[in-house]
Amino acid sequence: MDTIVLQPPKKDLGTAITQEEFLEVPADSMFRRFFLEVTSLTLFTLRFFRELLKPPYEFNELMKQSYLIGYKSLPLVGITAFIMGLVLTIESRPTLANFGAESWLPAMVAISIIREMGPAITALIFAGKVGSGIGAELASMNVTEQIDAMQVSGTNPFKYLVVTRVLAATLMLPLLVIFSDAIGMMGSFVGVNLKGTTTAHLFWSQVFQTLQFADLIPAFIKTFFFGFAVGIIGSYKGFYSNKGTEGVGKAANSAVVFASLMVFIIDMVAVQITSLFQN
Amino acid sequence: MTTVASASLNTGQHNGPNGLPVVEMEHLKKSFGSNYVLRDLSLVVKKGENVVILGQSGTGKSVLIKSIVGLVDLDEGKLVILGQNTAELTDTELLDLRKKIGFLFQSGALYDSMTVRENLEFPLRRQVHSIPKEEMDALVAEALGNVGLADAIEMKPSELSGGMRKRLGLARTLILKPEIMLYDEPTTGLDPITSREISNLILEVQQKYDTSSIIITHDIECAELTANRIIVMKDGTCAAEGSYAELTNSPDAWIRSFFE
Repeated sequence: MDTIVLQPPKKDLGTAITQEEFLEVPADSMFRRFFLEVTSLTLFTLRFFRELLKPPYEFNELMKQSYLIGYKSLPLVGITAFIMGLVLTIESRPTLANFGAESWLPAMVAISIIREMGPAITALIFAGKVGSGIGAELASMNVTEQIDAMQVSGTNPFKYLVVTRVLAATLMLPLLVIFSDAIGMMGSFVGVNLKGTTTAHLFWSQVFQTLQFADLIPAFIKTFFFGFAVGIIGSYKGFYSNKGTEGVGKAANSAVVFASLMVFIIDMVAVQITSLFQN
Repeated sequence: MTTVASASLNTGQHNGPNGLPVVEMEHLKKSFGSNYVLRDLSLVVKKGENVVILGQSGTGKSVLIKSIVGLVDLDEGKLVILGQNTAELTDTELLDLRKKIGFLFQSGALYDSMTVRENLEFPLRRQVHSIPKEEMDALVAEALGNVGLADAIEMKPSELSGGMRKRLGLARTLILKPEIMLYDEPTTGLDPITSREISNLILEVQQKYDTSSIIITHDIECAELTANRIIVMKDGTCAAEGSYAELTNSPDAWIRSFFE
């Protein structure tokens, strides 16, 4: 019978949460396998919060990761957002024109981008770039025993590698989404002006007259959860990857798949919660 | 005497330079699921002694040294390092104890994203928090000089050859001046000349820093050059111990086969 091996969290100094070592589980039950994966990820997440609160704090590494995760993602996020705003505007214009509502184009695009498309698409791009990057990097470090070497040298690898990356992802994605929203609206402005002439003053006036805090706040808050999900899943997949080069590819791939799926799930929950408050 | 029971390994027949035990293992057991890797293994390493462990793949050699630094948790048994029972130590005490143990990984385990200098500075920054830059530079230069890599200080690990990577791994370990050195197949994947260089470095480290070492290897020349005592492992236990000369003349054909 095939077995899957669930890697326990590595025994770190000060680690309070540990799993049974190398828990072997029959692979005949998808249901069981799913719950073991969820349990393992939950323990990993709980460990993150324990390590997060415990000194010493890795500020230098957090700054470095914030730079790599946030600043280095700006070009990709910017280009994607500009195209998103442009395409959304061009695609929406004929439909609105049919109803004689072409003048509502800036307002409609603004609400679409700010409330949903900006956060969701940026999070998906983020999952693809950052989630896979974290997964592959940590898996590679695992395969080449760098994580073990770190532990042997008296460094808590979970705190140094995982906590800093998850925290950086959580803090950087909201900033990237704000940037993405702004660039997306610029793309929309270009799209509006491809057919006809609309001044910047008129465009932005329409946008800001339409937008309310109720549009901005929930959309902004959920991006923290998106960032956290991408960081924690990328780290989890990388930290507990299988040994061997195959494990690196699998970790990167599954980090993107699960992080993207988690972005949609969180989005669905966030929309439900937001609608409850708005009603 | 070549083949001995595991419990009789700490009889002191092959004492190191001063005979004080630095690593004492008693009845260690470890399994992964139904796979029993260590079965009632006992071993003592004395101060200043180089102990080489030989054995076929999968006999628990790497698990044994990884258990010493806490990378693997033991199921049963007593492990005393530098007079401290590891099972009774707090996290902080374990951290302090780890500072006294160096581990050279089979792959070198160099941090790919860092330069040679940063690889060496990393353990220093983690262990010695307020070290002045001049002192750090001096320690890095000394560690690199010891392994003949002074010119590679600004290079990335990916630019180094296999032998240089091993030497850098050794330098990174030595920078904290450990009392105990653990070598996991230090010459694997290297050509005979570089292997000999690494073996000589292991001897130099022993003599210069008075370290006690456990060396896991499949390289018989390395074993001959570095060992004060050789342990042969089989199925998670010690099948034989002795000097190189004793084991090569063992009446047991299986033991002799390692040296042929």
